[in-house]
Amino acid sequence: MQTWVLIVALLILGLAGYYLGRSRAVASADGRAASLHSVPSYYGMYVAIWAAVPGLILVLVWLSIAPIVRDNMVLSAIPPETVTAWAQEMLPADLFAAEAEAIAASGTDGLTGPQVELLMVNIVNVAAGSSFVSPTVAGILVGPAEHMNSLGELSSWGLLVIGLGLACAGLYTARRRLAPHFRARNRVESIINVFLIICSTIAILTTLGIVLSLLFESARFFGIVPIWEFLFGTQWSPQIAIRADQVGSSGAFGAIPLFVGTLLIAAIAMLVAVPVGLMSAIYLSDYAPPRVRASVKPVLEILAGIPTVVYGFFAILTVAPFIRDLGAAVGLNVSANSALAAGVVMGIMIVPFISSLSDDVINAVPQSLRDGSAALGATKSETIRQVILPAALPGIVGACLLAVSRAIGETMIVVMAAGLAANLTVNPFAAVTTVTVQIATLLVGDQEFDSAKTLSAFALGLMLFVVTLCLNVIALRVVKKYREKYD
Amino acid sequence: MSMTSEIASEPSVSPPPQAESEARAKMTSRGVEVHYGAKRALHGIDVDILQHEVLALIGPSGCGKSTFLRCLNRMNDTIEGCKVTGEMTLDGGNIYDKALDVVQLRARVGMVFQKPNPFPKSIYDNIAYGPRIHGLAGGKEELDGIVQSSLERAGLWEEVKDRLSEPGTGLSGGQQQRLCIARAVAVSPEVILMDEPCSALDPIATAHIEELIDELRVNYTIVIVTHNMQQAARVSQKTAFFHLGDLVEHKETQEIFTNPQDERTQGYITGRYG
Repeated sequence: MQTWVLIVALLILGLAGYYLGRSRAVASADGRAASLHSVPSYYGMYVAIWAAVPGLILVLVWLSIAPIVRDNMVLSAIPPETVTAWAQEMLPADLFAAEAEAIAASGTDGLTGPQVELLMVNIVNVAAGSSFVSPTVAGILVGPAEHMNSLGELSSWGLLVIGLGLACAGLYTARRRLAPHFRARNRVESIINVFLIICSTIAILTTLGIVLSLLFESARFFGIVPIWEFLFGTQWSPQIAIRADQVGSSGAFGAIPLFVGTLLIAAIAMLVAVPVGLMSAIYLSDYAPPRVRASVKPVLEILAGIPTVVYGFFAILTVAPFIRDLGAAVGLNVSANSALAAGVVMGIMIVPFISSLSDDVINAVPQSLRDGSAALGATKSETIRQVILPAALPGIVGACLLAVSRAIGETMIVVMAAGLAANLTVNPFAAVTTVTVQIATLLVGDQEFDSAKTLSAFALGLMLFVVTLCLNVIALRVVKKYREKYD
Repeated sequence: MSMTSEIASEPSVSPPPQAESEARAKMTSRGVEVHYGAKRALHGIDVDILQHEVLALIGPSGCGKSTFLRCLNRMNDTIEGCKVTGEMTLDGGNIYDKALDVVQLRARVGMVFQKPNPFPKSIYDNIAYGPRIHGLAGGKEELDGIVQSSLERAGLWEEVKDRLSEPGTGLSGGQQQRLCIARAVAVSPEVILMDEPCSALDPIATAHIEELIDELRVNYTIVIVTHNMQQAARVSQKTAFFHLGDLVEHKETQEIFTNPQDERTQGYITGRYG
């Protein structure tokens, strides 16, 4: 409550600071705004920033630190008798018997880490008046809960008072500094600069965080399953025996079948998407009359808006039976869940990415190059093949790259159309599975997060990340080597 | 290709004897009108372009001189809503004939644009592009020969002979424009159209190109659009003055600059308007 009051107050003070700063700056120049160093609104912004920003930073820091401080204070203040009573109530009898002495001697220090966490959760629940705690426990913990509530109250009032004080002090000193020669614009712009840097850092840090979390979880996995077994094993069967006498669940974590499956389906998808997408882009950009182009391009882009789960229906209900029947007609044994069906449908899904991006790139090739080629007596197709496409190559490769990433990362179509069988095969008529599908199935439902089965999902994610990263690097090299630069 | 032998035999190797070329009109235009949609850009233009002469087209912006130039190799075909009527011939054959292949016409009537537009390829490939698509060279050596002779004719050989594999876009503006001229020359055209070829260049590069035009006249017929009156006076034998879609005057360059008949011509060349 007090926090919201403070935030609103800070915003109001900031607004007030803006007008106060602006009017003060104009007054300091005897009303001649032109003789100020900066435009008056910069003086206003300068004061507003000093009034609001320190307070807001304080709120952020306070809110992230205060609960930790509060918890520590509450825990250290609990008398050993209360802990003993709680432990007797909540812990299994044998555990309690083992720890009773330590608890009686040193209170919460006698508990293990998870036990302290449980105690803390109980106290928080009691303090909030929640009904998740049994009345007995609530009776035992009433003291610590009240202590916690009073500390919380104290903390939010403290925040309010300090925040308001900071804002008023900031407003006052910033306003006093204003003078006609004060360089308000430069100050404000450097603050904005810092703000921009922070924003871009957030994106980078998020990526870093994701990579690190993948790395740590994968490291745990590789602690259970050796890395070479994961990288070079040809058996994928992530079932771990829960009981010793269970049959057929020894667990095999060879990722090769998954990567072969992923690459097979992605390759089929690209075989469909690149020719179709590129040809339609060429038609749209160089052959289609403007009216056709204006209506066809949006229609093509609608394809990109269809949810992939709908493509999944299409694959499993229409394309897969069609391919199976076709195969049967020519005497081929095609599985009902075939890599071909999933790949073809995924290719169709990707077409708009390639066609739309390539069309933009091809259109961006200057008309002067087309004219120059035509003036030499080149036909349209010669011009496109020998001048336009080489000039547009970097963009086209970029579009294909985006499409490959989509194909490798796509999950839903493959779950529905290609199946879950981890067969090590490059036969497009067989059922295969992909990395993303396995990640999805490994983590669906209630899972314990310390078994090799669930941890393997992180290792797969890491591998997927490494593979796409390598693809990007290779493609960038290729583009750099073959690009034909035009001005 | 039949075109190749025809080109090889026809343009005379001898310098242009004035009296003889007078008689031979390389290209003619009779009553040519151009419409962009509803707007009429050219009103019944009659011009004869003689063999081995340089014809300069001058006039204020928007007067239709570039439009006329682009009619000569049917580059206007690529512009949406552009309609050309009237008769235009090359060596007596109507170039707007339905049976005529515009691709072959453009191989005979080359063009150099206002802004240098080298392809994003190597210098060698820029020149070799035209001969390759028309199959002019029998082998690698013949192609090398065409590239060298084209670059020599454009006065660029000495500057680029050691770096033929470098990109054409890396040359300076003036070199790029000479590369474009060499590229046009490489397919052995009969007529070369130039649309303000020096407007993006500095005076030294301009002087280079002007010299080059004078040399090219020996082998080709040239039509050049220019905003620079001195340039028209320096490089051309005939000058045509366009104004608001009309051909106002068309005669010997010397005469048009010393003794213009029409008052609009006089106003333009003396700088009173334009």
